[in-house]
Amino acid sequence: MHALDGLAFDIAAGQRVGFLGPNGAGKTTTLKILSGLLHPSSGEVTVAGFRPQARAPAFLKTITLVMGQKQQLLWDLPPAETYAMNRALYDIPRKEADARLGSLVELLDIGDLINKPTRQLSLGERMKCELVAALLHGPKVLFLDEPTIGLDIAMQARIRQFIRDYNEAHGATVLLTSHYMEDVAALCPRVIVIDKGHLIYDGELKELVHRIRPDKRITIRVSTPADPEVLARLPNLVSHTDNQLVLSVPLPRVNEVVRDALASLAAIDLTVEDPPLEEVMRELFASHQQKRQPA
Amino acid sequence: MMRHLMRAYPTLLRIGFAEMVAYRAEFLIWVLTTNMPLVMMGLWTAVAADGPVGRFGQREFVAYYLAILVIRILTSSWMVWELTMDIRQGALAARLLRPLHPLIVYSAEHLAAVPMRMLVISPVAIVLFVVAGPQLAIGDPVRLAILLASCAGAWALLFFTQVLIGSLALFIDSALSVFDIWLGIHSLLSGYLVPLELLPPWVSAVAHRLPFHYCLGLPVEILIGLVDTPSALRGLGLQWLYVGGFFVASNLLWRAGMRRFVAFGA
Amino acid sequence: MPPVFLRYARLLRTQLSIASTLAMQYRFDFVLKGVMALFWMALTMVPLLVVYAQRTSVAGWTYPEALVVLGWFALLKSILDGGVTPSLNMVVEGIRTGALDFVLLKPADAQFLVSTARFEPWRIFDLIGSLVILVYAFRRLGHAPAPAHVAAAFVLLAVAVLLLYSIWILVVSASFWVVRVDNLSYLFGSLFDAGRWPIDVFKGALRFVFTFVFPLALMTTYPALTLLGKLTFGSAALVVGGGLAFTALARLAWRGAIGFYTSASS
Repeated sequence: MHALDGLAFDIAAGQRVGFLGPNGAGKTTTLKILSGLLHPSSGEVTVAGFRPQARAPAFLKTITLVMGQKQQLLWDLPPAETYAMNRALYDIPRKEADARLGSLVELLDIGDLINKPTRQLSLGERMKCELVAALLHGPKVLFLDEPTIGLDIAMQARIRQFIRDYNEAHGATVLLTSHYMEDVAALCPRVIVIDKGHLIYDGELKELVHRIRPDKRITIRVSTPADPEVLARLPNLVSHTDNQLVLSVPLPRVNEVVRDALASLAAIDLTVEDPPLEEVMRELFASHQQKRQPA
Repeated sequence: MMRHLMRAYPTLLRIGFAEMVAYRAEFLIWVLTTNMPLVMMGLWTAVAADGPVGRFGQREFVAYYLAILVIRILTSSWMVWELTMDIRQGALAARLLRPLHPLIVYSAEHLAAVPMRMLVISPVAIVLFVVAGPQLAIGDPVRLAILLASCAGAWALLFFTQVLIGSLALFIDSALSVFDIWLGIHSLLSGYLVPLELLPPWVSAVAHRLPFHYCLGLPVEILIGLVDTPSALRGLGLQWLYVGGFFVASNLLWRAGMRRFVAFGA
Repeated sequence: MPPVFLRYARLLRTQLSIASTLAMQYRFDFVLKGVMALFWMALTMVPLLVVYAQRTSVAGWTYPEALVVLGWFALLKSILDGGVTPSLNMVVEGIRTGALDFVLLKPADAQFLVSTARFEPWRIFDLIGSLVILVYAFRRLGHAPAPAHVAAAFVLLAVAVLLLYSIWILVVSASFWVVRVDNLSYLFGSLFDAGRWPIDVFKGALRFVFTFVFPLALMTTYPALTLLGKLTFGSAALVVGGGLAFTALARLAWRGAIGFYTSASS
């Protein structure tokens, strides 16, 4: 019984990659192997030219690991003290550390927080300060394990934007796991999906969506409830209430269905989008399960 | 590596000190928890009220237990608690990601506590000076040097013993129970409860060969002038032999534990 | 019989059965801890043996009389460690983790719930050990305690447990204000340890503290005097009065602490 089995992928420098899978799929295990905290029983791992398991100081200075559920900030001291400590531990020249700290603090707008004891900060403020601690040594490879867990929508968006900015400004490689599909959709052009330690998809996110759910999702808001007769005529009704209908329609038929709906319904609003990522993933895992059943 | 360490050390010391200040209430409670020497002092001065016990009159007992208090507060270690907690709560992983050996960082954090401990224990040290000033090993440079070396040795011996026992937590759940047993034997054979020379001669002889005495009793006896310089030097030699032994043993166990940690995770 | 009383009796039975199920999960631990308990008891007798190797009487107490105090102390400690400390340690933990909120949501008296949450049945070994010490002490004395004195001692035992429990509640109440108080329970334990000695060996400040602030004298020395048939009526009244005063104080402090917790917690 292996936690991971036959998992193979390459990530080019500077890419942002989403790492997806249900609970227990092996995401955290993989991140721990990549950062040298776990040694694989067999197989090859290379990160930025290093063997992670050697945990060479030069390697550790190249990477960072952020875990949304754990923190490295000293609880009863202000974050500024943790930064001072990391500067010492990572042996960062003072000028470089000050400059980087200044720009990170400005990017995240936490100037008034870093001198307050960590315990007085809110969850979101703490995550921002945590990110600064994790990035102070200017790592080239970022492993982010659920960095937005428990945060509100606005704060999630803020953190996402920050990660994207950092990636673009420093050309850093980002490997991100998240329960929030929004995170992944907004940040990662490429996704790697694993389940029970097996790779089940590696490629563009768009491509994944189209392959699993080629249909588009049409949402129509109506001012008066639709006729039962009209309802019966509409293709693939996903759900309907008195003032909203949701249809799932193959791409070639979208034009025709939209025209038809507008003509026969009292529509006040209409949107065409990809199906929710959550649904795509559910279906992907379900089909993967089925494939594995007979074996 | 060494130069990196020298640069990192002052910062680590400063932050360690800031943490001590943040936890001053807890720290003070910890100091008060070390009240057994005072109780034993009360007991033995009552015993010595009608004549000295061996070499110990009332004044000697007072000096002995005050010295125990001072050395104990200065040299004792929290490493076993910290290590087992970091292992249990997964904080060890974060420490492993830093480009400095975790044990070095731990030791720096622990040394950072020493100045604060000196501050807190200074009133007791002053009373000790008033009670036993002329006997104390602080007037003579040779004896002072031996005293400082034996204090450093006691600190290192306690630290590595606790690294050794704490590293057991990488293998078994009950590392703290093992430490409890160690603590029990230590309290008896280190001189913490009773001066070794008041124990039955064979117990005292065995205790002088075991490491416990060198964690506490030796620097105390040197401080208040219970041993002459030649036997102090002999004790110091054996103490540092033990330090070396525990250093090697704790590092070996730590490495074995790490091999396990990175194979199974935590 | 008021229904409230019945309800709490049922609650107590449920809590007890959960606690013993928990304890029985680890049967091997049970035996191991029992053996360890005997090891500790033997270890803590050493200072007494060392002292009485030097003298036949200390501060008016002969060896067997001092053994009665020690035996009584061990008896009380086994009750404390088995029935009081585990629960109250859980409260301290609960304040830190926030799990106490669940207790406060239950429709029953919170102090009752937290005080009966955990028991450590294996402390029965300590209890047996303490009885062995008491029996041995009276054999050395050459007479058994008079039945009336034993009965009186049982009353004082109840008062002493109540006292200890009340002080523990005061400690726990304090932990609502100072959150990191794992140390506070160590402080409590270390102070309680001094109760193994007759109060007469202490002079000055220690004696005052152990009589009025942390009334060890009321908990161990006076009950031992009762067993020995030496306690005066006035002292007995002092014990009972002190016990009741501490209980009332503890209840008040607990109320205040809960009020503080529910108004200040976020």
